[in-house]
Amino acid sequence: MATKIPENLKYTKEHEWALVEGKNLTVGITDFAQSSLGDIVYVELPEIGFELKKDDPFGVVESIKSVSDLYSPVSGKVVAINSDLQDAPEKINETAYESWLIKIEMSSEAEVAQLLDSNNYKSLCE
Amino acid sequence: MMKTSLYDKHVGLNAKIVDFAGWEMPISYSSLKEEILEVRNGCGAFDVSHMGEFFIEGAEACDFMDHLIPNDFQVANGKAVYSPLLNHDGKIIDDLIAYKLSDELVMICVNASNIEKDWTWISSIHKKSNFDCKIFNRSNDYSLIAIQGPKSESILKEQLGEIEDLDYYGIKKLENSHGSFIIARTGYTGEDGFEVFGNHEVINSLWDRLMSAGVLPCGLGARDTLRVEVCYPLYGHELSEDLTPYDCSLKWTVKSKVDYVGKKALDESTPKYKLIKISLEKGIPREGYKVMSNGEEVGIVTSGTMSPVISKGIALARVERSKTEGVKSYQVEIRGKTYEANYHTKPFISGGHI
Repeated sequence: MATKIPENLKYTKEHEWALVEGKNLTVGITDFAQSSLGDIVYVELPEIGFELKKDDPFGVVESIKSVSDLYSPVSGKVVAINSDLQDAPEKINETAYESWLIKIEMSSEAEVAQLLDSNNYKSLCE
Repeated sequence: MMKTSLYDKHVGLNAKIVDFAGWEMPISYSSLKEEILEVRNGCGAFDVSHMGEFFIEGAEACDFMDHLIPNDFQVANGKAVYSPLLNHDGKIIDDLIAYKLSDELVMICVNASNIEKDWTWISSIHKKSNFDCKIFNRSNDYSLIAIQGPKSESILKEQLGEIEDLDYYGIKKLENSHGSFIIARTGYTGEDGFEVFGNHEVINSLWDRLMSAGVLPCGLGARDTLRVEVCYPLYGHELSEDLTPYDCSLKWTVKSKVDYVGKKALDESTPKYKLIKISLEKGIPREGYKVMSNGEEVGIVTSGTMSPVISKGIALARVERSKTEGVKSYQVEIRGKTYEANYHTKPFISGGHI
């Protein structure tokens, strides 16, 4: 099964996707990541207002057997978290690109340029 | 890296393969959760051919076993005994199941990671003692499938014929048109189930027939969560050469026999640790996480996983006896935060073994 990599999103080497909308960035994990992890059973997210630097760990996703850290693609402040995932973490397996984790208000929009585009990310998954 | 005789079949089934104790083994095939639930509710098949098989043959084979292990081997023919294997300090070299095939033939099944160490140890005990028996390491000659779950009896009966006369922890040899097998009603999941030993050819053929019959292939990942749910210890996690059976809730495997390897040291030892069972309402305890009580670190998680059956994080943990006498209130530290644990006196699930 081919992994889905939407062209409108940005990506990180840590297998996160990012949707850029002005100053705001929505973050989730990619289809490749959810498939590698298997059944996701637990998600831990930061509090709203939490300040992040680029590459800081901001939470974890856990499968039955593994724990994976989540890393912030950019610097900024957490302005929203997807608390629905706390009761239904399996949604990440079902719809990785709809099951966003957090929204970040970026402190430096220039960092977006350092994210991977879909083509670069695709070659990372091969 | 070593491969079992079933390796190509796992690849053909798109298994995720991992390195386990030098073996390339399937960790899961499709969904770990599905595999776990299938074993609890239906029937799953595991390739556990990496495990070791030793045979003790001769007039005093059972006397040798009684000397070798702390558990009582005075059992009927066709019965198996679980036991730790101890060194002279009373510390745990491995754990094993010893199967009494007859008065003069015993099969021992040991962990893959410890085959060489166990063989060296058992050979040295055999050499120093004077029991009338010979020992053989047949680990490379045997493949082994575990068929586990409430439907395993009916499915295996269709494939191999008469097995319903086997009781829990029973064992017998079976020869029919499908080949020559050793079948035991044992396993590592807590469910009813069987472990079928045979040469590589007959086990490959049995695997194919199980797959055709719709039995779900299950990997080592499911096996590990299944055994934690029923609180079975695993060598290298709950058990090690730093611990005696009294340190890891295996007192029941130590019988007051006349003599066995490690008895003197064990009789004189004071247990330092105990194993406890805990679950969390939020968060998943993992191996290595700190276990606290009354604001003090008292131990460590030895195995932790999410249980898809009870939908909670569950763990076995080793705690210091001196700090936990009568204590039932424990916390687990996860990424700097403290989570209150539920204390369990019984396994997280009872399992359905007969």
